[in-house]
Amino acid sequence: MWNGIKNFLSGKSSREVAKGRLHLVLAHDRTGLEGGRLQEMRAEIAAVIAKYVEIDSDGVEIQIETRSRQTQLTVSSAIQPRSA
Amino acid sequence: MGRAIVITSGKGGVGKTTTTANLGAALAQLGHSVVLVDADIGLRNLDVVMGLENRIVYHLVDAIRGKCTAQKALIKDRRMENLWLLPASQTDDKDAVTPEEMRKLIGELRATHDFVLIDSPAGIEQGFKNAIAGADEAIVVATPEVSSIRDADRVVGLLAAADVPARLIVNRISPNLVKKGDMLSQADVIEILALELLGAVPLDDIVIATTNKGVPAVLEGKGLAAKELTRIAKKLAGVEVEDKEAVGFFTRLSRALGLSASPA
Repeated sequence: MWNGIKNFLSGKSSREVAKGRLHLVLAHDRTGLEGGRLQEMRAEIAAVIAKYVEIDSDGVEIQIETRSRQTQLTVSSAIQPRSA
Repeated sequence: MGRAIVITSGKGGVGKTTTTANLGAALAQLGHSVVLVDADIGLRNLDVVMGLENRIVYHLVDAIRGKCTAQKALIKDRRMENLWLLPASQTDDKDAVTPEEMRKLIGELRATHDFVLIDSPAGIEQGFKNAIAGADEAIVVATPEVSSIRDADRVVGLLAAADVPARLIVNRISPNLVKKGDMLSQADVIEILALELLGAVPLDDIVIATTNKGVPAVLEGKGLAAKELTRIAKKLAGVEVEDKEAVGFFTRLSRALGLSASPA
């Protein structure tokens, strides 16, 4: 009952939470990339992007996710408008 | 030449041994000759799950060392015409045998039986490598829990690297919990692991009681788990079985009308 109410309020069942967590954990397991290495890569990619456009380096996000044994790496970053 | 199938999971305690015992008994009931191999050297358990613990004379390591022939190490299950067990050694280490030796042993057993079911130890180390060495297909057993699925995924990767095709059994699923949104469904597990499903065995108290007695549940013929395990055995043996997916009336209707895709 309580779970039902919690699920209703958060909009997510424990089943969906489990699924989401698994997608992330498995993506990391399958690539063999541990958290630290991933952050190193994030910083390097941010530096490369910053060479070409103006960005907030801390705002660069990196994500690995898996769907049906296909693992995808996504890097996203907001680009700041030209100042000059 | 028979088929050698390894039953494996990565994580311990998800029901590999019970699944092996039941599939073996069900295949034997269907008229196939079956050998169950306990590859969990040092932690043998298939003998007690089968209720054959008092009849062990020789074991797998004896057969590999040449202390006896493989055939002589087999214990016949007297409840059935054509079911045998090759027990593990309880006193040796997992590295007492090599993958090469296992491949040779399994090859010998396949020559004389329709099915060789190999019960793999938990883990992904030497014992696992030995267990999969002689197998030409694999059954991955996973319960609908994050830890079990994570470990199963590692095993799926290792099996793929070893060129052993794998299919999935989702074990101890509780339809009530799935309905309440508190358990991963079999569809979720299939989607995450991207494996072909052999079957989904429901959580069933009867299995605990029959295992207490050393009788595979399929031999007592009672309960939903036994029913599903028998269905899986038929599917393994290539007997046409209805895929008992809970399909609603409207889904069936729309499939019949060609409005939605039928499952492959």
